[in-house]
Amino acid sequence: MQLTPPGRRRWRSRPKKAQPAEVVRNRSILLRALIVVLFSALVLQLVRLQVFQHDEFDARAESNRLRTVPELPSRGLVYDRNGEQLVENLPIFSAAVVPADVPEDQFLTVVAGLAEITGEDAREVALDIERAVKSDDPYTPVVIKQDIDDETAFILRERQPDLPGAQVLVESIRSYTHGALVSHFLGFVGRIDEEEYADLKSRGYGLNDKLGKAGVEYVYEAMLRGTPGYRQVEIDASGEEVNQVAAVEPKAAGNLVLTLDVDLQRQVERYLREGMGSSLNAAAIVMDVSTGGILSMVSLPTYDNNILTDPVDDEKLQPLYDDPAKPMVNHAISEVHPPGSTFKQVTGTAALQEGVANPSTTITSHGLITVEDEYNPDRTWVMRDWAALGTMDFYRGLAMSSDVYFYYLSGGYYESGAEVFHGLGVDRLSAYARDYGLGSPTGIDLPGEAAGLVPDEEWKLDTFGETGVWTLGDTYNFGIGQGFLTVTPLQLVRVTAAIANGGDLLVPHVLKDVVDEENNVIRAYEREVEREIGISDANLAIMQEALRQAAVYGPANTGASQYVSIAAKTGTAEFGQPLADGTYPNSHGWYTAYAPFEDPEIAVVVFLEQGVGATNAGPVAKRIFDYYFSRGNLVEGDQ
Amino acid sequence: MIDRTVRVRDFDPVLMLAALALVVFGGLLIYSASLSQVGAPSTDDLSHPVMRQALFATAGLIIALGIASMNYRTLGVLSVGLYIAAIAALAFVLVAGDATYGSRRWIEIAGTPVQPSEIAKLVIIITLAKYLADRQEQIGQLRVVLTSLALAAVPTFLVFAEPDLGSAVIFMAIWFGMVLAAGAKWTHLAGIIGACLVAVPFVFAGLVSDYQRERIALWLEPDKDPLGAGFQSLQAQIGIGSGGIWGKGLTDGGQTQLNYLRTETSDYVFTVLGEELGLIGALILFSLFIILLWRALRAAELSRDLFGRLIATGIVIFILLQTFINVGVNTGLLPVTGIPLPFVSQGGSSLITLFVCLGILQSILMRRRTFTVSSYYDG
Repeated sequence: MQLTPPGRRRWRSRPKKAQPAEVVRNRSILLRALIVVLFSALVLQLVRLQVFQHDEFDARAESNRLRTVPELPSRGLVYDRNGEQLVENLPIFSAAVVPADVPEDQFLTVVAGLAEITGEDAREVALDIERAVKSDDPYTPVVIKQDIDDETAFILRERQPDLPGAQVLVESIRSYTHGALVSHFLGFVGRIDEEEYADLKSRGYGLNDKLGKAGVEYVYEAMLRGTPGYRQVEIDASGEEVNQVAAVEPKAAGNLVLTLDVDLQRQVERYLREGMGSSLNAAAIVMDVSTGGILSMVSLPTYDNNILTDPVDDEKLQPLYDDPAKPMVNHAISEVHPPGSTFKQVTGTAALQEGVANPSTTITSHGLITVEDEYNPDRTWVMRDWAALGTMDFYRGLAMSSDVYFYYLSGGYYESGAEVFHGLGVDRLSAYARDYGLGSPTGIDLPGEAAGLVPDEEWKLDTFGETGVWTLGDTYNFGIGQGFLTVTPLQLVRVTAAIANGGDLLVPHVLKDVVDEENNVIRAYEREVEREIGISDANLAIMQEALRQAAVYGPANTGASQYVSIAAKTGTAEFGQPLADGTYPNSHGWYTAYAPFEDPEIAVVVFLEQGVGATNAGPVAKRIFDYYFSRGNLVEGDQ
Repeated sequence: MIDRTVRVRDFDPVLMLAALALVVFGGLLIYSASLSQVGAPSTDDLSHPVMRQALFATAGLIIALGIASMNYRTLGVLSVGLYIAAIAALAFVLVAGDATYGSRRWIEIAGTPVQPSEIAKLVIIITLAKYLADRQEQIGQLRVVLTSLALAAVPTFLVFAEPDLGSAVIFMAIWFGMVLAAGAKWTHLAGIIGACLVAVPFVFAGLVSDYQRERIALWLEPDKDPLGAGFQSLQAQIGIGSGGIWGKGLTDGGQTQLNYLRTETSDYVFTVLGEELGLIGALILFSLFIILLWRALRAAELSRDLFGRLIATGIVIFILLQTFINVGVNTGLLPVTGIPLPFVSQGGSSLITLFVCLGILQSILMRRRTFTVSSYYDG
């Protein structure tokens, strides 16, 4: 009552009964306070939204309004060195849906409609859409079914007005015209997976994008993909395009010209297939000795990459995974085996360079040597030669592939504990092997390359512990390419090429040029030398001559061609369990060679999982040289 | 019957002009929001939202003036009948009403959708005012407070079942404010509030529908489901937030014009304002509301009797809370519930009800100088 201004009292109609009215009036002050409090709360919230969070919400409003539609350039094509096209882009229709454009209350209608039209399971469709909604990119169409037929696409287009968000996407798929013949070169493309998407999102990849998963499709993804452009369009809440705000044209992808010669590849594949016998798998490589370009590379068995390229044909895929011969593995670069006597190229040049041997170093093979056990003098080991080859100089030692000759060069020779011939020893041998690029990947522009192994004392101790002390026998085995040493066919052909070209250890490659649509070269592959192998020209000339003699009168003459003079080395690497007489029933057959001897052009390696270098691998190489140096003069089928 | 104590010069033009300014403000926003509506009739068509709103406002103004000329005390006589009619309408809408966005709120009368809950709010104000004014001397008794609570609880449960959580809250707030204004004891009110708080978990578990629970969950986390039910709340905040201090300009709001909002001419009209006219526009709107509420409270204070005072108080609470809840929902301060913004949102039921409220307030103001004996209207 005392709060009431006295001046107001005269307006009170019933001053005596004012008590409850005063209470009411006092309480109306509470109501004024409430008005102030509630509006203050609203103003504070507005200030928060409109002042402090303005930038954030403004960006979100902008991204609401503007949708960026990526425009992918057509994926680059791939040609062989003579311009033969190896891959095509074919258009397909896919049923898709833009999750953000599906109204909440019509979600089930859209799902049911899409399921009905495509024949997919409605639950799967719903899950696909929900996944995309959660992926923070609900504006990218989610493919419900790929490669729908024209009629289904037509029906979907017809019903689009009733199914907001549904779309017919025109996608492009890769069709590999030569399939299995060049699949290890090309690889394949597939739909981006979750992990890849997380990595590549920042580089403009979308949820639906495809990318190279193997071969040059994988390695040259950036070039083949080109630079995606985009259109920025203003859209309304139902996803309808209102108008285009900005556009950046996609930059065309480059087309790749490979070093591959597909005609040669076709022949090499045939020769290798016909010559591989009972081998589980086999590989052959033809390499340009002056550039490192791979003219042909065959790995058998092979696979049809059209099965793996998206959309994947699962039914045909499983047998590929189950096959013990591993058709999807590129045996030319991804698997390692002991090189056998082909390694004598390395041991021989190392011995010449280190002064351990010279062309007139004479050693006699009685068919075996005996080695005293370093730790148990009562015990001697027998190291065999493949035959009692008699007395040989360096040329003959290599040409006849005498193991005893190379035992001497690698480990030396001891009689009654006294050194009668000083050898290279494991340290120098492994150092040269590494100089030849063994034990590490060659750096070829294909994925999945194996490193191989160059053993040494430290490696053996690390691997086998106490029992892993390096022995003289280990050095002997190493010197003839047996034992722990393993190489890939590609590493081996590179060794031969380095000897042929005067000592340049080349980085092998399958890309020749990148060209634009008018076949102008955008980027030419530049010859890359990993290192000089460190053998003098004189010593290389000795090795070249020895390899030449091997191809003339040694076991390697099985690869000699009537069309060209070659220099060659065989290898037969025993593996598995020896028989009772100490011989091995299983061996890998190797053949490595280059030609022409006088002016080397190509180096060839042939690897057979089961076989003997001279008898099995050599003839395959011969047919390759015959074809390569006589084509143009020959009618197809003469081989 | 002409009441000779009526003084036309006590008519409050400020109250009326503030309300009309809000209607005009709303008309501009409805115009902007309706530009992008697909299949919207042209502005010279009477079925265009702005034209409809203008028609309702004109009708409302005439009704308000008519009611202002009547003695508001007549309402007290009518209160029992109005109450029964309102309860019946709410029950009917629950059984036979049209559902929109998962909730039944409408009935159709002569082709016009009518939202009984809007009208019921005013009826409850009148009923409570009558009941409490008649028991002015017994207001200290718990029985009276509880009876008034029961009167308000019936329509509250009916709208709650629609489900319309927002209106239910407003019914309860109106009751609370009016009982407080009538002079109820704090101890009684505190006891009832305490009992309600204890009951909240049970109500939430047993009575709150999944629809309401979901809306509350989404209010707490609108980003969780940006394309589902949280869409509306999030898009509204994006709209308002992106408007900034000065706004994007009328008809230039992207969120509004590209149809990211639903019900952008009714429940979400404030978002259009926030986006296109910014914080400045909102402050102007709030100023108009505060002027209106202040003048309405003035009517409560100047009322010559408790009945008028309580009606005016109820109307203030009604308009204040509708405004607060609507803007609170638009700005993400409160969970999503469909409450129109008084005078601004498109909607005939709401607008007519509000103009009736204005008429009652004017009637109270114009009859404030009457000297009467209490027995004339008490009892």
